[in-house]
Amino acid sequence: MANPVWMVLRGVCRGLHLTGYFCAFGTALFGALFGQPPGLRRMGWGGFGVALLAGAAWFWLQTADFASASSPSAVLAALPLVAGYTRFGWLTLARMGVLLLAMLCAQKRCWKLAAVLSGIGVLGQAWLGHGAAMGGGKGWLLFGCSLAHIGAAAAWLGTLPALALGLRLSQNPRALAENYSRLGLVCVGAILATAFLQYLFLIGRVSAFFTTAYGAAALAKLLMFSVLLALAAHNRNRLTPALPASRAALGRAVAWEIGLGMAVLLAAGVLMQFAPPAMAMASMGS
Amino acid sequence: MRRSLFAGAAMVMLAIAPAAFAHAYLTTSKPSAGTTVRLDTSSIRLSFTEAVQPEFCAVTVVDGMGTHAETGKPEAVPGHDDELTVPVHFQMAGKYIVTWHALSVDTHKTHGTYSFIVGN
Repeated sequence: MANPVWMVLRGVCRGLHLTGYFCAFGTALFGALFGQPPGLRRMGWGGFGVALLAGAAWFWLQTADFASASSPSAVLAALPLVAGYTRFGWLTLARMGVLLLAMLCAQKRCWKLAAVLSGIGVLGQAWLGHGAAMGGGKGWLLFGCSLAHIGAAAAWLGTLPALALGLRLSQNPRALAENYSRLGLVCVGAILATAFLQYLFLIGRVSAFFTTAYGAAALAKLLMFSVLLALAAHNRNRLTPALPASRAALGRAVAWEIGLGMAVLLAAGVLMQFAPPAMAMASMGS
Repeated sequence: MRRSLFAGAAMVMLAIAPAAFAHAYLTTSKPSAGTTVRLDTSSIRLSFTEAVQPEFCAVTVVDGMGTHAETGKPEAVPGHDDELTVPVHFQMAGKYIVTWHALSVDTHKTHGTYSFIVGN
């Protein structure tokens, strides 16, 4: 389970789980901030379904890796141990429980509570990151960065599907797009600032982008994010002012953003399987 | 001016950025590598760079004849989630090799070895 193919597969499942989770959270956040177009609840449940299925696959693969299990029966035997005795296990189950509660709140049209609950689940992902495991001043700083990074990414990328739905059905798409673009600006600023700090802590040097697996995944993520930013800037500066005439074009551009955002999250999932190059190796015994 | 300030701040941050530990690597141990300990030593203690999951960690302590000196599984040290302790019983003096496998709470596995001497 330590070979690169399994690592990438685990990363893809983790990325898909994040995609579904972000979509479910983003749907609730959109409902709380910008209104509830028809179909929004169905979209939230769709995100929940993706998060659940991909999360189950990730849980299975991660358990196989933890227990060095090569047969399904060995993985099954290790599942309770992982669920009960590892932070990954109980946190993943708790996060899915919180997301289910959030979707039930959304079903009852309690959008703000749904957004808060699913937001807690989104931020919980940071507790599985390097910062939370390290402890100490550096660990807390990195943990804070992860919280802000994941929160901002979820608020932006997660709300894009709901935005696409809203733009298609809204009576006043221009007002919606302008309001949404304020949220987008704040999120992009937070993502860029925290990404820079994470680069300093976890990558450390430009050459690592080209010489390490972690760096390559980070570079792929960075390139896709740059395209995403350019697309978002085009939407904000060109297509939004031309609404409602540009409604169809803006809808297509947001669909591209959703696709790119998903690719960024898959790259993030793979990235988290590798050792960061700036990691200082142990002084002994490694 | 503003751009220069930003570039300056970025350079300073790059210069002072500390190396981050990610994944659990061994930092210290008791007994530490290469040292000599008494025959009646009853446990060894391993400290890692990150918090670890004891249920999925393994430590073996083996002498030159292949005899295992560890008498139990690694356990967490209360109040120190980045440390493990392993009970041992040394039957004879000599060189012992410690092989450790650790799972950190951020889901990554690491492993390593080191050795120490048991004197009479």
